[in-house]
Amino acid sequence: MEDEELWDFDSESLSFEKDRHVLYLEMMYQLLPAPYQGQEINRLTLAYFVISGLDIFGALDRIDKEAVINWVLSLQAHPKNDRTFENGQFYGFHGSRSSQFQSNNNGAARLNGSHLASTYCALAILKTVGYDLSQIDSEVLLKSMKTLQQPNGCFMPIHTGGETDLRFVFCAAAICSMLKNWTGMDCEKAKEFIRNCQSYDGGFGLIPGAESHGGATYCAVASLKLMGFLGEDLLSEKASSNVINVPLLLDWSLQKQAFEDGGFRGRANKPTDTCYAFWVGGTLRILQADKFINEEALRGFLLTCQSKYGGFSKFPRLFPDIYHSYYGFCAFSMLREPGLNPLCVELGISAIAAIGL
Amino acid sequence: MKGEEERERIPIKERPEWADVRPVPQDDGPNPVVPIAYTDEFSETMDYFRAVYLADERSPRALHLTKEAILLNSGNYTVWQFRRRILDALNADLHEELQFLDQITRENAKNYQIWHHRRWLAEKLGEHVANKELEFTKEIFCKDPKNYHAWSHRQWVLQALGGWEGELAYCSELIKDDIFNNSAWNQRYFVVSKSPLLGGLEVMRDPEVAYAIEAILTKPENESPWRYLRGLHKNDGNSLANDPRVASVCLDVLAGKTDYVHALNMILDLLCHRHQPSKELKDAVDAVSPDPNLPDAGLAENVCSILKLVDPIRANYWEWRKSTVPAQD
Repeated sequence: MEDEELWDFDSESLSFEKDRHVLYLEMMYQLLPAPYQGQEINRLTLAYFVISGLDIFGALDRIDKEAVINWVLSLQAHPKNDRTFENGQFYGFHGSRSSQFQSNNNGAARLNGSHLASTYCALAILKTVGYDLSQIDSEVLLKSMKTLQQPNGCFMPIHTGGETDLRFVFCAAAICSMLKNWTGMDCEKAKEFIRNCQSYDGGFGLIPGAESHGGATYCAVASLKLMGFLGEDLLSEKASSNVINVPLLLDWSLQKQAFEDGGFRGRANKPTDTCYAFWVGGTLRILQADKFINEEALRGFLLTCQSKYGGFSKFPRLFPDIYHSYYGFCAFSMLREPGLNPLCVELGISAIAAIGL
Repeated sequence: MKGEEERERIPIKERPEWADVRPVPQDDGPNPVVPIAYTDEFSETMDYFRAVYLADERSPRALHLTKEAILLNSGNYTVWQFRRRILDALNADLHEELQFLDQITRENAKNYQIWHHRRWLAEKLGEHVANKELEFTKEIFCKDPKNYHAWSHRQWVLQALGGWEGELAYCSELIKDDIFNNSAWNQRYFVVSKSPLLGGLEVMRDPEVAYAIEAILTKPENESPWRYLRGLHKNDGNSLANDPRVASVCLDVLAGKTDYVHALNMILDLLCHRHQPSKELKDAVDAVSPDPNLPDAGLAENVCSILKLVDPIRANYWEWRKSTVPAQD
């Protein structure tokens, strides 16, 4: 999907080009170029980047909210009847029609391909456009989601099997949080799994034993925050032994800001990349330690990844993509860029959307 | 994703073996959001896939079609899942499947579904593929020694299928190639703590501390061995403070007068755990103080002040660390 050709860049812009970014998002909302077809299965995720992105810019008037709501709701998986639901399948949302098939006469329940990550994105979008989530049939969703949880506390993304890791623990926690109903998961078990993912160096890996990674770390910390396992004043010495080793996590996270260019890296000794400004920066925000980030340096780095076409790329001087663009926008929101709405970092949507006014 | 064949693709509707099948178009509904500008090849392939999927046709031609769909959309877990169903139904040769997987993994080494499929295969094939899996991940590491998926897979293989014998040596090799490879350091920790052949962390601590120290002295600015050293002591401040080698390596690095940020951070941690600094250590800290006229404060506060100057990007953090220094006796 990423088009990594270099482009001729004239002069670096020293300012955040808000209008260009909104235009970029509007274009993506209208039509995603062909290279995104490899992401078809996750179209809902792409939609989330676009719509939540527009929300950050206060530009939701550019979209047809009714159409969005209808499309998202049409992707929800429903059991045929009360008995079907007990078949051990997860009834969430599909990422696109690619995993959603019209059930034929066999009523083949195997056609349910709904996915935990798509479900998170669906609910995030609905909340963002102001849809009242109490209208969602959440009982089946949550009950069936519990069947995705593994004995070790981790989550599988889909009942037919898939990689199980922290990303899906986060999705589950965010889903429960947005639906205001925690029957969908065993929080204690999830907490244990998260603890086991903290590496010897303080960051978190996607699974126990894995290398500490910015994205995994965000998933861990955001999940704990959503589940209510993180106290208020985490940095204070008086904070009783936390669920996780906070000082070590703090040191690891801060060390990820590179003195060379001010950006954040996702792992020790790896190149800096736009999106870690959110994954690691967001982690620090949740820990109330974002005051330790060198914001000027970070801003400087991010602007080198700003595309003249709007959007952001992973590294300087590449074409933008919707994923890095969204996290670039999130990063600027956290840097309190004028004109950008604040975030609810642990949910991954705007603060206003999270409150649900 | 690149296809393997150079020759031009024949549209499926022109292939005689597919003449009996009616493709099923995607029904996006009246107002699809973020529509994608699919290529004709993509649309056609997925339309035919939908047809065989709905019919639950687990045939050789369906298997081939899943391959085509995967090449266009390797993240589509529905296609992968159906492919697994077909492989089971046809009682297919899983070694052949592994070869196919090798090929596409080389071009798509960062795809979750591909690695998940690989794990599924390896689980079915069992212990006798342990070596092959270790060899294959090695091959991936030749091109990208930090590929996260490959490392997860490798850890899974070791724990599920075995093959620990050469692992510590392999880590040493990778670290020798690139002392900054944090994935290799992480793997080293994994081996040292989990290998059934080595006796566990307690047993391995001594030689591994020596290994870490050597790496630190080679490149003191390298975050990895410092974290590893802490990890060997389970990040227990008292344990670190009681290991004379830890203070000693900090001293050695300071004496080098360069790249001592991590060393100072470690000294700070030691001091916060009641380590009694030697005179040598105090002198070494003074020697790197850019401003010898710092106000009279404790050693720990001085270290923080120095860090603010030599690691300015984290100045706010080092300033805050001053407030976490326990009161001096």
